[in-house]
Amino acid sequence: MKIAVCIKRVADMGARFQIGADGASVSDAGIKYDISDFDEWAVEAALQQNEKHGGGEVTVISLGPVAAQETIRKALAMGADRGVHLQSDVIPFDGFAIAQALAAELKDGGYDLIFFGRIAVDSAAGVTGAMVAELLGLPCVTAVSKLDIAGGTGTAERQVEGGVETLAFPLPAVCTIDQGLVTQARYPSLKGIMAAKKKPMDSKPAQLGALSVTVRTMELPPERSAGRIVGEGAAAVPELIRLLQTEAKVL
Amino acid sequence: MANNILVIAETRGGDVRKVALEVVTAARVLADGLGGEVHAMVFGGAGIGSVAPRLGGAGADAVLVVEHDGLALYNAEAVAATVAAQVTAGGYRAVLFGASAMGQDLAPRIGARLRVGVAADVVAVSVDGTDIVVRHPMNTNKVIATMVLAATPALVSVRPGAVSVGTSAKAGAIQAVSPAMDPAAGRVKVTGVTMGGGAKLDLAEAPVIVSGGRGLKAAENFSLVEDLAAAFGNAAVGATRAVTDDGWRPHSDQIGQTGRQVSPDLYVAVGISGAIQHIAGMRNSKTIVAINKDKDAPIFKVADYGIVGDAFEIVPALTAAVKAAKAQH
Amino acid sequence: MSGQNIAFLVVLTLALGFFSYNIQRLVSYLRLGKSENRLDEPGRRTWNLLTIGFAQTKILRERGAGLSHASVFWGFLVLTAGTAEILLHGVWPAFSFERFLPRPIWQLFMLSQELFAVVVLVAVSWLLHRRLVAPPKRLQGKEIHGTEAVIILCVIASLMLTIYTTGALEYAADERVRATHFGWFRPISSLLGTMLSGLPGRILHPAYDISYWAHALLVLGFLNFLPYSKHLHVVSSLINVWFSNTSGPGQAGVMRAMDLDAEVEQFGASDVDHLTWKNLLDGYSCTECGRCTAACPANITGKPLSPRKIVVDTRRRLMEKAPLMAGELDVPGSAAALLAADGGATALGNVLLDNYITEDELWACTSCRACVTECPVSIDQLDIINELRRGLVLNEGRFPEEVQPTFESLETNASPWAFSPADRAQWSEGLNIPTYAEAFAEGKRPDILFWVGCMGSFDDRAKKITVAFARILQAAKIDFAILGQEETCHGDPARRLGNEYLYQMLAKGAIETLDRYEVKTIVTFCPHCFHQMGNEFPQLGGSYEVIHHSTYIERLLNANLIPLNTEHGKHLTMTYHDSCYLGRYNDVYSAPRETLKRALPVLTLVEPARTESRGLCCGAGGGRMFVDEKVGKRINLERTEELVATGADTIAVACPFCMTMMTDGVAKLGKDVAVLDISEVVAGQLAPVHAHTTARELVAGD
Repeated sequence: MKIAVCIKRVADMGARFQIGADGASVSDAGIKYDISDFDEWAVEAALQQNEKHGGGEVTVISLGPVAAQETIRKALAMGADRGVHLQSDVIPFDGFAIAQALAAELKDGGYDLIFFGRIAVDSAAGVTGAMVAELLGLPCVTAVSKLDIAGGTGTAERQVEGGVETLAFPLPAVCTIDQGLVTQARYPSLKGIMAAKKKPMDSKPAQLGALSVTVRTMELPPERSAGRIVGEGAAAVPELIRLLQTEAKVL
Repeated sequence: MANNILVIAETRGGDVRKVALEVVTAARVLADGLGGEVHAMVFGGAGIGSVAPRLGGAGADAVLVVEHDGLALYNAEAVAATVAAQVTAGGYRAVLFGASAMGQDLAPRIGARLRVGVAADVVAVSVDGTDIVVRHPMNTNKVIATMVLAATPALVSVRPGAVSVGTSAKAGAIQAVSPAMDPAAGRVKVTGVTMGGGAKLDLAEAPVIVSGGRGLKAAENFSLVEDLAAAFGNAAVGATRAVTDDGWRPHSDQIGQTGRQVSPDLYVAVGISGAIQHIAGMRNSKTIVAINKDKDAPIFKVADYGIVGDAFEIVPALTAAVKAAKAQH
Repeated sequence: MSGQNIAFLVVLTLALGFFSYNIQRLVSYLRLGKSENRLDEPGRRTWNLLTIGFAQTKILRERGAGLSHASVFWGFLVLTAGTAEILLHGVWPAFSFERFLPRPIWQLFMLSQELFAVVVLVAVSWLLHRRLVAPPKRLQGKEIHGTEAVIILCVIASLMLTIYTTGALEYAADERVRATHFGWFRPISSLLGTMLSGLPGRILHPAYDISYWAHALLVLGFLNFLPYSKHLHVVSSLINVWFSNTSGPGQAGVMRAMDLDAEVEQFGASDVDHLTWKNLLDGYSCTECGRCTAACPANITGKPLSPRKIVVDTRRRLMEKAPLMAGELDVPGSAAALLAADGGATALGNVLLDNYITEDELWACTSCRACVTECPVSIDQLDIINELRRGLVLNEGRFPEEVQPTFESLETNASPWAFSPADRAQWSEGLNIPTYAEAFAEGKRPDILFWVGCMGSFDDRAKKITVAFARILQAAKIDFAILGQEETCHGDPARRLGNEYLYQMLAKGAIETLDRYEVKTIVTFCPHCFHQMGNEFPQLGGSYEVIHHSTYIERLLNANLIPLNTEHGKHLTMTYHDSCYLGRYNDVYSAPRETLKRALPVLTLVEPARTESRGLCCGAGGGRMFVDEKVGKRINLERTEELVATGADTIAVACPFCMTMMTDGVAKLGKDVAVLDISEVVAGQLAPVHAHTTARELVAGD
């Protein structure tokens, strides 16, 4: 099978974020970047599909700054066959602008399956995959947590609130991959990293669409207040309940 | 018409979901700000129009009912086609969805059909002049973005629970709409829905996690932790590595560096000292409660709220108190 | 030359020829391994040979078996001269050392033969008893060749007995020889001969020939059995000791340097041909005594790892693979024929990894060096394990799944735990400790870098050690600074877990930072940081004086630089747990103990059963901190039980990893025993102006 996986380079979410000087971006000082978790699972899922069915090709596509090539290389080190870098110095917050650029690249690729992560862990929107499907006129299943491909059709499961939906669809199709489809993405071996250096990667300017969603400001949520000992023994329980209800608002 | 707001109101089993009412409320804010109406659109099988009064009660001026046997289950393609046709015909300023599994699936499809972006998973909406402004937590809730949707229509999905259901009731006048596409013609077929029943909540998804450590002294004492989790109703049970390595709990329950990394809304650590192995897996929880007999235990350094004392005395009391608190709601 | 002499010459030539053929074959097998220079520092190597080899110092670490083995070994050294004489005698009946040696010397030589044969007999009897009647646990196990050992011991006993029977029969049969060749210097043969002297010559002469031939054939048979058995160590172990690096030259426990830019098909090892010739020689030298396995914390607690099996498997796989590669290697024997034979193709398809050694065995290793320390012939089991781990991770990305977050966090956060680098120096808030960046901004060049380490930076328990040590440095008015947010992991956990690529990335980054700040001297309380930066960084061009805090505090105490309040206090009974990376890796045993004694004059220091170079690992080394312990008893529990059994009210440690493991062990036992780092004990005794909490309060507060 020919499978394309669209991946995004994102900041490491463990970082302490700071707002950039423009007040409308996240500062990248001291930030490390990596492939978005869901996209990594999507790459893993694509590799597993091809391992299961034998042969095939996995193409990894990423839209972003030049550094996104490192993210593509990581996917190639995991075992993907070739990479396409759609260069754009900034990654806009408008999923449709991105979807247009990706669709233009994917249109004539002859892919049987196009995978996305369900969401990018930074922008946390989860819209690009379904938009690309619509632009390409392909069937689409989002948030796939189980997937079987056989004889040109797929069956998938997706989590909905309180349950699981089972769906059937014809190929070619677009799937966005949720947590749970794969248990863990493979860790690239050094051999894989070496091999990835020799795998083909195209880089071309991204054909972004016009923006209809823009960021005005960004801010950090209020600082978490310092922890405290509520009290000793069971006598402290009522006060804890009160705090959970009124202060933390989790009960 | 150009300042009307369309809400795609999610239903399940013939009734509206709470998130639909929340979205109607958010739409009301926009409609009032812009001087327009709120139209709630529902899809479903026979009799789905009966939900109209509830939507009206939350602030919908009109309820557009798309009733078709093929729409009893969510049919993404038919719904997307119908909504897109409705928006194109009706000239809405904005279309609002719940950021639920359905809304997250539907909004981008409609965005692509209408050639606009989507502001997904927002926690607040407002009107600023002619712009619609939303707030969206990103980077695992560590950054909040304020975004402007200048284009028409503005597509927004609203995070469940972010808006309290309003009480400014409107007429909720029913208006029948036909599907723009035969639901049977869809390429993706939902072949079944299994509702969760007694399925165990996964640690990654549970809003509340109650975890036990060495301080529980024996495997059987985990019933304390299980009872507390049951009292919350939406809680999963976790454990430290010491406990899973000793076989008190399965390895799949382990939270920590070598186990699961979790970030629930509430994490209750019972009898857990707070070694780095464990902290690495749960410190991103939004609120952390620690119960430990040792006041110097490192867990209190990461906890928001701590109780020092005997878990065997405190946890049952907490379980009772949580049950009582839940009963009030 | 008689017919008998000619027959003997033929037998001797065949036997020696076959033996040398086999030795040549085995030496050629070594060429399957990668090349490696082990000719450096001949002086040090010869010293090892003399002490470990000839003086049997490592064998004697276990008294009973050690003394028995040493007796047999020294006996053989002496008896080999006699054996040479006996064999030459067969070809040339007139040959005797008597012809060359002054008579008193020759008499002493003959006496030595007689006496050492007794010594060997006694030792062999004891060893046989131990094999057959009361075998210790280490002599049991799938991988060991027990029958072979018994056969060999019986052969040795027979060799000794035939020395006497041959002598006695010679005495009895030939009066002329009796007069000149017997006397006080051959007491046993003479005694036995006297008993036989009544027998007629027609019995005595053939009996002498039979006894002589029996002895000679046993010698030659034994010689030719060696290459086919684990007793090859008779031939190889002295050579092995000379070539070994486990007791120097070089720093103990330093992992092999690796050139990752080399265009190679294979990183680390998956099969015997990826190991070096020295690893293969280790295989020849193992006699399956099992001291390594008996000392292995993983094995002791029921894990699948046996270091002995690692070495035995390496030999078995070499014996399987090398003949198949004979064509390439120019070894006698037809590789094609072997391949065509049943199982030949299977054998070729096998690899050391998986077919012999499983992944679970490799990941069970805590890299504690107990096996290496115990091996009497200086085999390096750990080197093979490390190379195989590298093979798993670098070629195939195979490792326990729970390790992945550690690798990923090391990549993104430069810490094994996913904490933000921004939080690294949180512990120092309000303590008035400068960072290098701050010091440099003021034009200062601090004397000492306090390297905190990831545990010390992020683990809330270990942060107390960090603060305690910082307070000691401040009290001693040391001009020191920290790197703060610029400190990163040096990559040691990745290296121990086989991920050399990630290790080198981190290590090079750390070296760059250290060099940028012109760091010369580093102190750290983490033995892993201490070992890595002090001993392994030089491979990547980072050379610093790295001092563990135990040594550093001892120096400060000796120089009276730490103002201690040592006048009063309750009597504490403390036991000290040796960290592997401090002890077996770096021979630091006395500094932490001396520090404790100096800080707490009213202290009884008790030692656990396994201590110093025999100390049992806490279970966290070798990256095991980041791997779940799913099989067998938990190592930390085994160790804590032993420490608690000393009756100590406090366990002192000098490693944050040990701290975590011991603390958990004590909690599991439900014991009221405090676990303190040595710096916390010292900080607790700082003179009042600095003291906040004393060690006693720390103990009481738990």
